[in-house]
Amino acid sequence: MDQRNSDDGSNCSLACSDAMAEPTETLVLAAQAGDADAFEQLLSDQYDTIYRFALHWTGVVADAEDIAQETCIKLARALPSYRFEASFSTWVYRVVVNCAKDYRRKGARHNAQETAGDGSDVTLDEASRSVESQVSVLETLLMLDELPDGIRETLLLVHAEGMTHEQAAKVLEIKESTVSWRLHEFRKRYRQALSDGVINHD
Amino acid sequence: MTEDDKLDATLRQMLRRSEVPVDPDVKRRSLSVAREVFEQHYSAVESGNNESSQGNRSQDELRASKVSPEGQGFWQRLRLIFGINPNQETQNMNTLPYFRYGSLATVGVSILAVALLLQQNRYLQDSQPAQEIAQSGIEEVVVTASRLGPAEVKEELASDRPLVAKRRADAQPPAVEFASAASAAQPTADRALAIAQGKPFSGADEAAGFTPRVFRDSRPEVELNEKGRDRFPTYEPNSVKLVSEDPISTFSADVDTASYSFTRRRLNNGVLPPADAVRVEEFINYFDYDYPLPREKDQPFAPSVALVDSPWSDDRLLLKIGIQGYDIATESKPRSNLVFLLDVSGSMRSQDKLPLVQRSMEMLLTTLEPSDTVAIVVYAGAAGAVLEPTPVSERQKIVEALRRLSAGGSTAGGQGLRLAYELAESQFDPDAVNRVILATDGDFNVGISDQRELKSFIERKRSAGIFLSVLGFGEGNYQDALMQTLAQNGNGVAAYIDTLSEAQKVLVEESRSSLFPIAQDVKFQVEFNPSQIREYRLIGYETRQLQREDFNNDAVDAGDIGAGHRVTALYELTPSGSSNPQIDARRYERSVRETSSSDEIAFLKIRYKAPGSKQSQLIERVISDSDRTSLVGDTAFAVAVAAFGQLVTGARYTGDFSFDDVIDLAQRSKGSDPYGYRTEFIQLVRKAKTAAAMSITN
Repeated sequence: MDQRNSDDGSNCSLACSDAMAEPTETLVLAAQAGDADAFEQLLSDQYDTIYRFALHWTGVVADAEDIAQETCIKLARALPSYRFEASFSTWVYRVVVNCAKDYRRKGARHNAQETAGDGSDVTLDEASRSVESQVSVLETLLMLDELPDGIRETLLLVHAEGMTHEQAAKVLEIKESTVSWRLHEFRKRYRQALSDGVINHD
Repeated sequence: MTEDDKLDATLRQMLRRSEVPVDPDVKRRSLSVAREVFEQHYSAVESGNNESSQGNRSQDELRASKVSPEGQGFWQRLRLIFGINPNQETQNMNTLPYFRYGSLATVGVSILAVALLLQQNRYLQDSQPAQEIAQSGIEEVVVTASRLGPAEVKEELASDRPLVAKRRADAQPPAVEFASAASAAQPTADRALAIAQGKPFSGADEAAGFTPRVFRDSRPEVELNEKGRDRFPTYEPNSVKLVSEDPISTFSADVDTASYSFTRRRLNNGVLPPADAVRVEEFINYFDYDYPLPREKDQPFAPSVALVDSPWSDDRLLLKIGIQGYDIATESKPRSNLVFLLDVSGSMRSQDKLPLVQRSMEMLLTTLEPSDTVAIVVYAGAAGAVLEPTPVSERQKIVEALRRLSAGGSTAGGQGLRLAYELAESQFDPDAVNRVILATDGDFNVGISDQRELKSFIERKRSAGIFLSVLGFGEGNYQDALMQTLAQNGNGVAAYIDTLSEAQKVLVEESRSSLFPIAQDVKFQVEFNPSQIREYRLIGYETRQLQREDFNNDAVDAGDIGAGHRVTALYELTPSGSSNPQIDARRYERSVRETSSSDEIAFLKIRYKAPGSKQSQLIERVISDSDRTSLVGDTAFAVAVAAFGQLVTGARYTGDFSFDDVIDLAQRSKGSDPYGYRTEFIQLVRKAKTAAAMSITN
């Protein structure tokens, strides 16, 4: 059961992530043994979470749907290698974060003229998409010029998905302190931008 | 609550606000695709790991493929059996490509597989092709093998039945050296050798441990995503009309050129454009033609008519109608109040989008007068003005604002549009050209997403004197129809900018055309004389068709013409005496109809409104045999372009006129070509020829 429908953001920062459907071990094992029905059930339970994360990531429904589909396909391939070391939902998040990043890289391939491996582009994009829609993305991005890599997914996992720092750290396979640092770094830049008048709250 | 908590709460709210629920159809589709991948991938992994029934089935499949029809291509079969997809990335996060770890066992499996394949294909008798296949095959098989995870490699290394094969003694060595691997497990190697030499492959061998891995892979759905989301309105090419039934043809002027530059971009990438992306009239109107300039300003343009033999049919004529708008002299240019509305959403990131927009806008600045004003509004997740209306005399300030821009985020085009119009209104000058110039790759996902609402908004602003031009950039999610609609309703042009030189053409050389309308709602109506002309077909203008009664209705919107703009239209005509009409005569039609015995061929009417005027004016002209001329110069070039446009959209009416014929005709008629556009066209036709040939052979 997925109950993460409330999105007012008021008091569910912990509850949200806990509400993510954690499948029974039996179901995962059945799927791992090759039971396609079990796999589909498993995926169906996770799909909404996957899609929502992708939507937060891109802000574009069509792109989010593409990312979600790629994630499903990747899960189909990677399932045998899931070894119960992290919780299943953590593992799914890890896959969707990677798919979302891959998707962006692939998007860059559409155009032959694109300068490959231009690091600055990536960082800018990273920054812009982390705060989506309502913050002026552009303005945030302008001020967050050299936003370090990884802040975007950290921000989304903690603020949009409502994970604890510990949970986000598990998904990203980084130290908890790195999560805290990234969030702190973002706050700092955001405040700076506010005081510079680059952003304003509505 | 600490300051940090407050900020976090704000961020949470912002990040979660835009939720679009899951589309159940999309979900179902994704699940079923994933299920299919799961089933195929799973059975493959299973069969490799043990001698389960699935494993045996795979064996059967393998052997069955031995007797598959010869017609099936070797590579196709290889792919089928091993699931090889050269484009496949090994991106599974938990299964790193293990070949990088240098496992000899992997190589062994590969060689064994190659050997097996060699046998299947009975290539051993003629060793030359076998060698080639062995050599080229290695790489591909290794690619497949690399889809195994490191864990599986370890399993194999620890296993007491290492899968190692020796290369075939009498075949030449493949490109990779495996000698050391070969010595590791002689029995298996011998078996491989036996297989390779065409000896019967018995069940005993299988039981002894030979279990070739079978991998299959299917990602057709994902591949589709690579095609991008460019959107074009669908249309059918204009059909042939009988003059006796439908003597009147009415259409609106079109000075857009977006279709040509989009096509050019596609062809430069080696692919033909989708037929719906081609609008022949935009191809034709991309080029300059030397039409006589109107003598007086009261009549903003003079029609020019030519009647020539069709180069693709002996039985038909082509009628060219061209108009040339008068050009505003620089000194009498009205002031400009421009608002750039720039899309800086994430999709604008690539080099041919935002960076090109920035450079294009800088170019446009050079054509403006110091007293003109420029403002910049950007939109992405939210819209914002990054430059208040600023006189062009402060050029540096404008340029800096442009250079600061960078792309990211989703798209709120509607919101940005409102803000841009507000700024334009704040500087509104009834004597100036007040125009919003939108530069985007076509995403209007958030904001006024209802196209009708968007359209009526732009229409209202247009009647208040603020016009809109649309510049399209990039490829991947270019929304042609939307851009056209926007520009058409905003009295502006829609141009597609793919290169800096196109920016130069549209924004510098043609800036006056795109900025200063000299005639609005320009409509054409041609009435053919049935005693002279039996059939006609308008080439292009499919998306610009008007009803007959719309011609005199000043409330019906049509295309606008800017200073110096040219509009050209071509009709294909079948004379009434023709022995080879495209539409048969009607059996029950009265053979004699009351028609004017006049020898006029057609009657041309053009309606337009002076800028700002509500009342239209009429220009009329008789088209007669005296307009006949030979197929040379500009007319010939326009005909070549029209032929090209028809060839890339299916060549329904052009007989066996070929790309080479187009090149010939264009070469002969390209003239002085000061900017090289016509030369570029000829190169483009060559590319189209290659792309078309490729698409047939594939």
